Amino acid sequence: MSSHAASGHIDHHHDHTTSTGIPNKKLFMWAFLASDCMFFGTLISTHLIYRLHPPPGSPDPKSIFSIELTSFSTFILLMSSLLMALAVNACQKGRVESTRKNLLGTIFFGLIFLACQVYEFSHFVHEKGLTLSNSTFGSTFYTLTGTHGCHVAIGVLWLILMYIRSFKPADADEGRPWIGKAVVHLLVFLVTIVASMSAMMSYTHIAAEHGWGAVGTFLSHHPISTAVTLAGVIALWALGRDKSTAEFGEANAIDVESMGLYWHFVDIVWIVIFTAVYLLEYV
Amino acid sequence: MEHATHAPFAADGQHHPSKFHIFVQIAMILAAITGVEIVLVYLPLAKWLIIGSLAVLSLVKFLLVIFYFMHLKWDKAFCTVLFFIGLILGGGTLWALLLLFSAESSLPPVDEISSLITLYAHNLA
Repeated sequence: MSSHAASGHIDHHHDHTTSTGIPNKKLFMWAFLASDCMFFGTLISTHLIYRLHPPPGSPDPKSIFSIELTSFSTFILLMSSLLMALAVNACQKGRVESTRKNLLGTIFFGLIFLACQVYEFSHFVHEKGLTLSNSTFGSTFYTLTGTHGCHVAIGVLWLILMYIRSFKPADADEGRPWIGKAVVHLLVFLVTIVASMSAMMSYTHIAAEHGWGAVGTFLSHHPISTAVTLAGVIALWALGRDKSTAEFGEANAIDVESMGLYWHFVDIVWIVIFTAVYLLEYV
Repeated sequence: MEHATHAPFAADGQHHPSKFHIFVQIAMILAAITGVEIVLVYLPLAKWLIIGSLAVLSLVKFLLVIFYFMHLKWDKAFCTVLFFIGLILGGGTLWALLLLFSAESSLPPVDEISSLITLYAHNLA
């Protein structure tokens, strides 16, 4: 530990124990994000090249895209970035409860973004006939936005693991009871996410046929996914009420910050995709 | 909100906004810029003006996120340099590829295109 850490103050932006003065985890994350810039650069350029020089028979993206849905997803991802920044800020000040709430908010918004993307892909394939292999536009579009979606999904999983990690008790007996509870917590999260995604997809399909007020029809057709979602949310609420002293605080801020860097990177990639892939089609 | 209560004072006695307030303000600016971008594509303006404005607005959003949300403003300059190396390489690759594929000499001859279409149609049949 550095001398300033020993004196009770942690400098979250600098680490005088490393030769660069930057914490190693943060340096690793910045190097990884720099390499990811090149990865997304090639994917975006591939999509743009085929859009500027479309092969014969290419579909018209304007007739496929839904600017309202994409704008909503963009707004959701921007707000998730705000919550992530607040989570890092709270963790740097040692406020565990506030960190957890902001992490949960970021997870929730990340899941909404993913649900929008799942709905968008499903709509494009089944209603608009755009598949991964029936046109060059479909191939480049799904590869680019799908890769970004995978990054978001990995980010959500990381956020969930960090949220569960924040409950590690200070007096954990050799880790065994804590690991068991953490695994249960993770399983409850995953089951709830899958059930709620399934329920939301079913509801949007029913709403498309019968209108948004058809809640009764939805509940009668999909009672299991609705019940599992409700039970999962109640279980998550109960698991999140653990008020025992946790081995999580200011010292973990660098872990939360590294995760935050990844999450914000996903956001800036979407800022570019939103303009280059979606908005430019409407000009 | 518990984090809203802290508004630090600098050594010179001047009041500086806390990071909480900075982050909320940045998020509001980002949302507003996104709204402007969406409205912009429907305005009856010159194409070059709309594309140029979209590029500038996206760049502003990009810089706000990396310098404030990703803390580059408060971190050592080495982090900025490291990230911009990747960004310039990625952006340069994008730019070079777009220029290469736009060059007249890189376009396939018209005869070749029509023979490819014929071949494709034949394979489909």
